[in-house]
Amino acid sequence: MNHDIDIKNTRINCFRQSKIKGEFLLQMRVPGGTLDAKYLEFVQHICKTWGNGLFHFGMRQCFNVPGIKYESIPAVNAYIKEYLEGVEVGMCNVKMDDTEHGFPTIGGRNIMSCIGNEHCIKANVNTFALARKIEPLIFPGHYHVKIAVAGCPNDCGKAHFNDFGMIGIAKMEYHQERCIGCGACVDACSHHATGVLKLNEFNKIDKDDCCCVGCGECTLICPASAWTRLPTKFFRVLLGARTGKQEARMAKTFLTWVTEDVILQLFANWPKFSAWVLDYKPEYLHGGHLIDRAGYQKFKEIMLDGVKLNPEAKVADNIYWAETEYRRDIHVKPLAEHKKAGPGATSGH
Amino acid sequence: MIINPVMPKPCKIIDIIRENKNEYTFRVESDITPEHGQFLQLSIPKVGEAPISASGFGDGYLDFTIRSVGKVTNEMFALKPGDMLFLRGAYGVGWPIEEISGKHLVVITGGTGLAPVKSLLSKCLNEPEFVKSVFIISGFKNEDGILFKNDLESYKKNFKTVYSLDIDKIDGWEVGFVTEHVNKIPIKDYEDNYAILVVGPPVMMKFTALECLKNGAKEENIWVSFERKMSCAIGKCGHCRIDEVYVCLDGPVFNYKQAKDLVD
Amino acid sequence: MGFSLSLEKANAILNELKKEYRIYAPKRFEKQGRYSDTDIIRYDEIDSIEEIVTGEKSTYSPKEVLFPITQTILYFTEDEYRETKMDDKKILIFMRPCDINARKVQERIYMGNGGFDDFYYKRLREKVKFVMMECTKGWDTCFCVSMGTNKATNYAAAVRFLEDGILLDVKDEELQGYFADVAKAPFEVEFIEGNETVVELPQIPDKKVLNAIKAHPMWDEYNSRCIACGACTIACGTCTCFTTTDLFYTQNANVGERRRTYSSCQIDGFDEMAGGLIFRKSYADTMRYKVLHKVHDYKERFGENMCVGCGRCTDRCPQFISFSHTIEKLNHAIKEICEQPVSQS
Repeated sequence: MNHDIDIKNTRINCFRQSKIKGEFLLQMRVPGGTLDAKYLEFVQHICKTWGNGLFHFGMRQCFNVPGIKYESIPAVNAYIKEYLEGVEVGMCNVKMDDTEHGFPTIGGRNIMSCIGNEHCIKANVNTFALARKIEPLIFPGHYHVKIAVAGCPNDCGKAHFNDFGMIGIAKMEYHQERCIGCGACVDACSHHATGVLKLNEFNKIDKDDCCCVGCGECTLICPASAWTRLPTKFFRVLLGARTGKQEARMAKTFLTWVTEDVILQLFANWPKFSAWVLDYKPEYLHGGHLIDRAGYQKFKEIMLDGVKLNPEAKVADNIYWAETEYRRDIHVKPLAEHKKAGPGATSGH
Repeated sequence: MIINPVMPKPCKIIDIIRENKNEYTFRVESDITPEHGQFLQLSIPKVGEAPISASGFGDGYLDFTIRSVGKVTNEMFALKPGDMLFLRGAYGVGWPIEEISGKHLVVITGGTGLAPVKSLLSKCLNEPEFVKSVFIISGFKNEDGILFKNDLESYKKNFKTVYSLDIDKIDGWEVGFVTEHVNKIPIKDYEDNYAILVVGPPVMMKFTALECLKNGAKEENIWVSFERKMSCAIGKCGHCRIDEVYVCLDGPVFNYKQAKDLVD
Repeated sequence: MGFSLSLEKANAILNELKKEYRIYAPKRFEKQGRYSDTDIIRYDEIDSIEEIVTGEKSTYSPKEVLFPITQTILYFTEDEYRETKMDDKKILIFMRPCDINARKVQERIYMGNGGFDDFYYKRLREKVKFVMMECTKGWDTCFCVSMGTNKATNYAAAVRFLEDGILLDVKDEELQGYFADVAKAPFEVEFIEGNETVVELPQIPDKKVLNAIKAHPMWDEYNSRCIACGACTIACGTCTCFTTTDLFYTQNANVGERRRTYSSCQIDGFDEMAGGLIFRKSYADTMRYKVLHKVHDYKERFGENMCVGCGRCTDRCPQFISFSHTIEKLNHAIKEICEQPVSQS
């Protein structure tokens, strides 16, 4: 067939070009990676009716439907109205003026999360509940950002490999009078975490608070509830990871011991930051590149603007990422090729 | 007023005798008169308590022979005469004096196991009419581990003695485990009028008792002394329980008929 | 003597009682559970009837009131030890019949075993009165009926919790005085008559069978299943074991205190001697030691079973080891051993 398709437009509409001409893969966002199971049937219907019968678990927890013919896109978009209204509008409170024409902006950068404390014994927070709260702050939007929420520092949710990664952590309370001095927490902390606990000569526990990662292993193993989590939920926020062909790198800590409230204020600043970096001209670039262009200090200034930090919160003074050096001197280049941000920033990448 | 059985009493150290490289005897001022084979709870502020059997006692004093193991005993070696120790007890069931009286007495000890029977051996020495005869088999790991050298010498004059080292060869000492010398006990000659006391590490006691049986001894004529983690010493804390038995209350001395079935 | 009280009236009397008594009951500690966003229910002083958790089993047993997890017993200086003191307030504890029966079990050890009374338990116990919480339904892990601990009579008062008030049967004369202006109402406390879980009590005829059971492979599975955390024994209403530790003050090392703290046969080091000798070397051994104590060894010494079937050990086990299922396996093992032909050796 002789196709003439603006693939940038279909991409914005969440239909990604296939190697087979005229075919597309629909990416449906699943904020927090957890949904009412009824949507499985819904997605199955799309796959069987308009797709090629295959289904793919998106790498970022999207429902991926391959093999949709260009001609079917309007029918598919009409069908997923129910999904958009149920999941985006209903479940996440996303403001969406038009639900008739499919996803309004690229949706593949779904907010991922592990199952969290809905199920997992290790988790400290309800991960997908947070993902659903972040969703309306960043979607729909033309500035792209990869976000993940992990329930605990095990980081099955891969907070370390996203632009922003939240890790649910807990502040522990030590009820000395309930401690039987068995040392199980000491072993658990050194086997699973950072080894901040020590059994002292009086058969009680000494803790090096400074290096506690807030994982909760002490609470999990304690036979007497001598270690309990404080009711307030806290997070570590990791920043600036990316994969890719040029400068892959793992995230570093941006904030720690921040509350959910801080995180929501932070993401409310994301569109403002992205717009400033790109001089209000959206580009198909995701967050990590934007942070690089602005530099960490500028990023910090804009992102924390007006954010009321909780008293326990700590913020990285500076961040020194370590990139995979596929080639030497990756950052050494002619001045003209250096990244620029803000007013007058040239586009092109 | 309710009596508090875990309240320790202060006792002044009169003398400290070095027995060998790792073992010391502490003599303290005390009017406690334990039964032979009973134990006491010895406490040192800052460290805690440990069950210790009296290796000797007399008019106004008690002796404890302590090996340098564990927190309490390590701390003990910093003490000097005139310092205080704290004691409570004595606790438990000691050697069956009535069952021993007038009989041939066999004492088989391994290592520090000599300490809990030493006061009884002194009695035998001082009161020759108390038993018909005494046969001692006393084993130590090596020359450094030999305890109560002077006492062992004095036993030679009045008792039949077999002294043995597991490894070292020295003059006047046999080589090998105590079990290897059990066949030297003239059990038949005792004509069923004897008592065998075995005390030492658990494995030594187990195999020594079996060796005695092999050589014709009767189960009911053998007694053993259990060493367990006695902590409260009054049957409350549970550390020394085996089956329905509390070693601190029902022991540490058990007749072999009962002891053989006690599996930890 | 039966009474019917509105919550308001009940709380008014509770406040009166608090002048003379410390009042303990199962209380909810939100989000303090082992897992995130789970609660624990444990004994603590209450200020109102509404604070009492009536619809769930408490995570921990009321033994914590009478024998705190950590208790200072003596203060010491260079040359003397001194007992800790205690105020003279009396104590009321709200507890279920199984937990009241668990008192008897612990008291055979704490008061009387070997002719010794535990000074600290006894001095607290003498101040305590029980308010029995009616328990007619139980929970899935309970087997009090099998253990014969579903009923208790040695209570000062018994209570049934209603939506908007309470029914009381007050037996204690001193307590009756607080109800002088309350209208009498007939109330007879009820007991649970059957549990979902039924346990057949193991009968081990002699030491020979007992030692054969100790060597039976049924315990092997616990080497991989049990993590020896001891949670079962801390939650247990009848476990009595403790360890004593001396603590000295950092500002003056010659002065300090002697404390005792819960301990457990499940925890590494419980049977370790100075010098390192250990008697129960595997988790199969420690499990066997605990289970046989609960349903055999204690009975051999004191005439009745130790376990009261409250099921807290099963509830608390992070590895999903069920105590009642373990007893079932034990029964199979006993049967297997007893049915074997007697060897001639």
